[in-house]
Amino acid sequence: MIKLENVTKVYKGDNVALRDATLDIVKGEFVFLVGASGSGKSTFIRLLNREEVPEHGKIFVAGKDIAQLGTWKVPYLRRNIGYIFQDFKLLPNKTVGENVAFALEVIGKPRHVVKKQVPAILELVGLTQKLENFPHELSGGEQQRVSIARAFVNRPLILLADEPTGNLDPQTSVGIMRLLDRINRTGTTVVMATHDRGIVDTMRRRVIELDRGVIVRDQARGVYE
Amino acid sequence: MAISPIYALRETGVNLWRNVLLTTATIITIGVSLLMFGSFFMFDYAVANATQRWEGGIEFVIWMNPEASVEQDAAIQEALNSSPQIQDHNYVDQLETFEEFKELFADTPEMIEVVTPEAMPPSYRVVPLDPDADVVEELANQFRGRPGVKEVVSANETIRAIQDLADRVGLFLFLGSFVLLAAATLLILTNIVSAIRNRGREIEIMKVVGATNWFIRIPFMLEGLAQAVIGALFAWGGLYAFRRFVISEFSEPDGLELLAGFEVSDNEFLSTSILVLGIAIAVSVVGSLVAVTRYLDA
Repeated sequence: MIKLENVTKVYKGDNVALRDATLDIVKGEFVFLVGASGSGKSTFIRLLNREEVPEHGKIFVAGKDIAQLGTWKVPYLRRNIGYIFQDFKLLPNKTVGENVAFALEVIGKPRHVVKKQVPAILELVGLTQKLENFPHELSGGEQQRVSIARAFVNRPLILLADEPTGNLDPQTSVGIMRLLDRINRTGTTVVMATHDRGIVDTMRRRVIELDRGVIVRDQARGVYE
Repeated sequence: MAISPIYALRETGVNLWRNVLLTTATIITIGVSLLMFGSFFMFDYAVANATQRWEGGIEFVIWMNPEASVEQDAAIQEALNSSPQIQDHNYVDQLETFEEFKELFADTPEMIEVVTPEAMPPSYRVVPLDPDADVVEELANQFRGRPGVKEVVSANETIRAIQDLADRVGLFLFLGSFVLLAAATLLILTNIVSAIRNRGREIEIMKVVGATNWFIRIPFMLEGLAQAVIGALFAWGGLYAFRRFVISEFSEPDGLELLAGFEVSDNEFLSTSILVLGIAIAVSVVGSLVAVTRYLDA
């Protein structure tokens, strides 16, 4: 599903964010990206979403080298990739239902599809009762569930999560991880950057550790350290 | 998938309303600049129409009294025929003058209804050998005050006066409208950039979930277009009033002789209106394209 071949990303001032990274992530895998701040986790995720382009190497997503993708094709790539933010990034002036529907409307989905898919995804994340609520009326955990619903409503092949539990307490984080695990079981590949040792150690999934842009560990059923 | 018209209109409306004060300022600036621009063209048309009778080298016109006697008329004709300084002259009788009048006031039939050919002054349109202003003036003076002559109008003074007025007013309108159009373009740009910044998070989410660049851009471009078209409608209203209450007023029969024929036809008004709308669209396209391509990168 995802393949990196000798990928190097350098920012201004010879700041190497990722160095000669090579790996394969198969369809349906759940992968934790771990490492200290500035180790390159976020760059890794941004490269997969084509927010960044590598200086060297190739990145294949669903068989296509996305570094070579024309700018106009990028939106179509992103329709196959869900993205979950640490700070949720919900639209404050839209209700829960409208926030989720927004992700479908802006890719031109017909109204009847939106009407069908929004209640279904809210049921999956357990927020059916909050359809008409605004984000400020929700707890942090509920807001992150809305963010997950928005990322998954279009049933993408890949879900990228950049520290999705970073702003949540441990108990709420467990609920979010259960939800991501449930989504992963539907066959969706999940790549999650995290600092949460407890979650990584509990779930025992593949762990890729980065240190100053270099992959220093790639371990199946791994732990945080 | 194509952008839904309902979505595009809703988002455009939201954008316009979110910056309602800036939107209003933009519309007013566009309206005033287009009004000035359109006025420049209408003024140009009116001047061309007012000076139409001076075509073909005619340098002065001897207007006879409608009641002038045959003898008085013959004396003038004799003077014109015998003058070595006159190359040609043409007699325009009352019926022909009435036809000219009907052409000039084609848009105001109520005026034509109250005038009869008998009330029209016949005239001699004179082409001198030497078109020098002083020579023409001297020649015209030879006919002023003669029995049967109502008035002698020299092309030079008429055209000079009209041209002078047209040049000053036209230059002011043209330069003023350009400055204001530039301001309007910048205001559209500022308005859209402000809307883009206000909706930063929305745009970020749109990009992340896979909205195409055009899907994101179109509501902003429609915002610029809406401002320009509303501004153009105000300008059109102003131009209509300018034509109806100002230009037409000048060409009233009891108005200044200098401004007789100072009129804008229906076709000229239509072409000015189309031009104003075209300029509005061009201004909006330039302003919004710069804004979306510079501030909404992929």
